[in-house]
Amino acid sequence: MKNYNSLAKIAFLTVLSIQLISCEDDDPTPVVAEISYSEHLKNITDNVIVETYTDLANKAGILLNEVTDFKANRTVSNYDEAKQAWRDSRAPWEQSEGFLFGPVDTDGVDPAIDAWPVNEVDLNNVLASSDVLNESYIESAIDEIKGFHTIEYLLWSVDGNKQLEDFTDREFDYLIAATENLKNRTQQLADAWTSSYANILKTAGNNSVFVSQKSALETLVAGLIAIADEVGTGKIEDPLNGNSGSADQTKEESRFSHNSKTDFSNNIKSISNIYNGTYFVDGKGLSDIIKVDNSDLDAEFNQALIDAIQAIDNIPGTFTTAIVSNRAQVTNAQNKVLAVLDLLESQIAPVIKKI
Amino acid sequence: MKKTPLFILLALFICSCSKDDANDIPTSIPDKEARLYAGGKTTIFANTSFSFDNPATNLNAANLAIHLAGDMQFEQAFVTAPAVINPGLGAQFNNTSCISCHPKDGRAGFPNDINTRSGFFLRTSIPGTDAHGGPNPTPGFGGQLQNHAIYGKQAEVKFTITYQDLPVHFKDGTTVILKKPIYGVTDTYIPMPSNAMFSPRIGPPVYGLGLLEAITEADLLKKEDLLDSDEDEISGKANRVWDPVSKTHKIGRFGWKGGAPSVMVQSAGAYHGDMGLTSPLFPNEADAGQTNGSPLEQAAPEISQEILDQIEVYCQTLAVPAARNLDDPAVVLGFQLFEDANCIACHTPKHITGVIKGIPAISNQTIYPYTDLLLHDMGDDLADNRPEFLADGNEWQTRPLWGIGLTNLVNGHTNFLHDGRARNLEEAILWHGGEAKKSQEYYLDLNKKERAALLAFLAAI
Repeated sequence: MKNYNSLAKIAFLTVLSIQLISCEDDDPTPVVAEISYSEHLKNITDNVIVETYTDLANKAGILLNEVTDFKANRTVSNYDEAKQAWRDSRAPWEQSEGFLFGPVDTDGVDPAIDAWPVNEVDLNNVLASSDVLNESYIESAIDEIKGFHTIEYLLWSVDGNKQLEDFTDREFDYLIAATENLKNRTQQLADAWTSSYANILKTAGNNSVFVSQKSALETLVAGLIAIADEVGTGKIEDPLNGNSGSADQTKEESRFSHNSKTDFSNNIKSISNIYNGTYFVDGKGLSDIIKVDNSDLDAEFNQALIDAIQAIDNIPGTFTTAIVSNRAQVTNAQNKVLAVLDLLESQIAPVIKKI
Repeated sequence: MKKTPLFILLALFICSCSKDDANDIPTSIPDKEARLYAGGKTTIFANTSFSFDNPATNLNAANLAIHLAGDMQFEQAFVTAPAVINPGLGAQFNNTSCISCHPKDGRAGFPNDINTRSGFFLRTSIPGTDAHGGPNPTPGFGGQLQNHAIYGKQAEVKFTITYQDLPVHFKDGTTVILKKPIYGVTDTYIPMPSNAMFSPRIGPPVYGLGLLEAITEADLLKKEDLLDSDEDEISGKANRVWDPVSKTHKIGRFGWKGGAPSVMVQSAGAYHGDMGLTSPLFPNEADAGQTNGSPLEQAAPEISQEILDQIEVYCQTLAVPAARNLDDPAVVLGFQLFEDANCIACHTPKHITGVIKGIPAISNQTIYPYTDLLLHDMGDDLADNRPEFLADGNEWQTRPLWGIGLTNLVNGHTNFLHDGRARNLEEAILWHGGEAKKSQEYYLDLNKKERAALLAFLAAI
C-alpha cells in the first residue's frame, strides 16, 4: 500500500506538472530577452509629457491671476499682461499637440480647451443675457464657447483691435469664468497623467493598454506624424490656399491674437521635445533609438526641425497678412514642415517599426 | 478510501484542459495570413493610439485627395448661424462635430453623465410606420431626441438613466453582474406622447465602412435564413430600408439596426439628426416647425453635396488595422472556441468585396470583418422594443469585430454594444441572448483559461 501510495503520488505530480505545463504554455510570455526602452519611455513620459502638462496647468493658473487683476484694475498694463499670459499659456498647449493621445483625447480635454471656431452667436447671446456666469456655467456649456479661443476672442475681439474701454462687465465675468474652467481642465489633464496614464505609458509591455514597448514608441511617432500633418496640410494649408488656391483668412486658428506663427513653431517644438526627450531637462528620447540605427538620419531630422521652426519664424509680419502678401515665405515654411512630416513617415517610423 | 481524493484531483486536472483534448486544436489559425490583413489591401499595421484614423494604404492619389478633404470635414465643429465658419448648428443637436461622437474615428465611450455632450442619444418613434415603412416619427420630437440646443432654445429633452442588476453565472461558479440601463426622458419642451418608444445608440467606429458597403447583395442574401430552414435557431434577416438617394428600398447596412443603406445616407443622417445640419439629402431641419426648433422654410443646405461626397469617401476609405498576435497559443485556442461556440454563425469571418465604382482600393478585397450584416433577435434584455423598417424590437445587426481589441488603446475604454452598456468584451458576450443564447451558454460553460483564450482571440482580430 505504501508503495502504491507513493507511486500514485509520483503519477499525480507528473500528471500535474504536465498539466500545468500544457496550460501555462498558452501564456504569451516572451522568453527572448528584448532590448529595453524603459529609460526612453520614462524620460519622455516624466520629463516631457508630464512636465508640459504641468507647465500648461501652471500657466493657465497665471492667466487666471492676470485676468482677475485686470478686472480689478482695468489699466492698459494689466490688459497687456493678461494678453501676454494668454500667449504664455498657449505655448505649452501647442507644445503638447505632438502627443494628442491618452486623457487629452479620451477625457474630451482637447475640444474643451481648444475648440475652434468660437460660437460667436451663442457667446454674444450669453453675454447679452442675465445668466449667472461662473465656472460651472462654462463647464456645462458647449465646447465652442469655452477654452483658449473663446478667451482669445474676449481679450482681442474679432479684428484683434479691442480697446480697454470696449470691455463690458459681463465680458469680464465671462473671461474669468472661462479662464477658471481652462485652469481646471488643464489641471485635470495633468492629474490624469500623474495619477495613472504616465504609469501606463512607462510600463508599456506590462499592461493591457500598451501590449509592448514598441506599441508605445509607435504611438509616440504616430502622434508626431499627426501634428506635422496637421500643421503642414491643415493649419497652414487651409488659410493659405483654402479659397480655391488663394488665401482664406477666416480659416486661421489663432487669428484674433495673431499668434499663429508662434502656435506653429511650438507645434514643431513639440515634435522636437518628444524626439529629443527634452522639456526643462534633457534626457533620452526617440533620437537615442534612431541614432543607434542611423546617426545621419538623426542629424538630418534635427536639422529639418530647426529649418522648419526658422522658416516659420521668418514669415514676415502676421500670418494673417503673410498669407496674402508674403505667400512665398509661407509656402516655404509649409514645405519645411512637410519635409519634417516626410522624414517621420518614410524614415523615422520604419526604424521604430522594426525594433 | 484515503486515496480517493487524489484521483478526484487527478481527474479534475485532466478535465480542466478537456477542450484541448476533446477537439483538435490546430497548432495555428488556418488562413492566418489572410486574417492578418483584416481589411484586405487597405490594411494598416499600426498597434498605436492612432490605429483607426489612417487612410487605406492602397488608396490612389485621386481618392486620397478626397479622403484628406473629408478628414478635415470630419473634425469641423459647427456653430450657430450666422457665422463665417461652419454655421448651421441646431437649433436642436446632440453634438457639434463628427469626431466628437467617433473619437479618433473609433468608438464613443459611455458618458459619465448621460446629458453631457457625448456619442450617446436616444432615437424615438411611435407605433406605425412612415410613408416608406420606416419608424413613425414621434409628434413634436421627430425620429431622434436632441438633448442640447443653441442658446435661447430649449432642448427637446434631457435623458435619464437608472440601472437594474442582472447576475450571470458561469458553470465554474463565477458570477458577473451586468448593469441593465433603463432610459427615460425628463424636462421635455412639450409633453412626450405616452406611446413614444426610445432606442439608445452610441457612436461606433468608422473605419472599414467602404469595405462593408462593397460586400455584394448576393453575398449578404445568401446567408439570409428567414424561417431558420437549417434549424440552427439562427435566422438572419437583411433589413430593407428607404434610400433617399435612389428613392427606392435597399438592403440596410449601417446603423445599429441596419437602418441606412449606404455610408452616404448614414453620414448625411448624422449631420441632420445629431448636429441639426441640412444637406441636399435632408433639406429640411430635423426640428423644423417645432416651437423650440428651426423655421419650416429652409435656406440653402448647410452641408453641400461636395462636403457629403468628401465625408462619404473618407468613411469608406479608412484603413482597417491588421490583426495581431495570431501565433499566440491562447489566440489559436480562442479561434477554435469562437468556431465551436458557433459565434461564426453571425460573426461571419470572411467576405470578398464587390466593386465600389471609382474606389479600386476597397473593391475586390478579401476581408475579415466577422459580421454577416444581418439582423438577429438578440433577446429581451438587449431589446429596444422599437422597430426600424424590417428590424423588430428584439433585433440588432451583427457588428463587425475587426480591430475591436484596439479600443482601449485608441479610445481609453472598453464600452461595447449599441449603447455602450457592456463594460468589457466579456460583458458584451454575456449580453448576447435570443438567437445567440446557445453561443452565450457555450461561453458560460468554459473554464477560466478558455474564456481568457476566447477574449484573447477577440482582442487579436
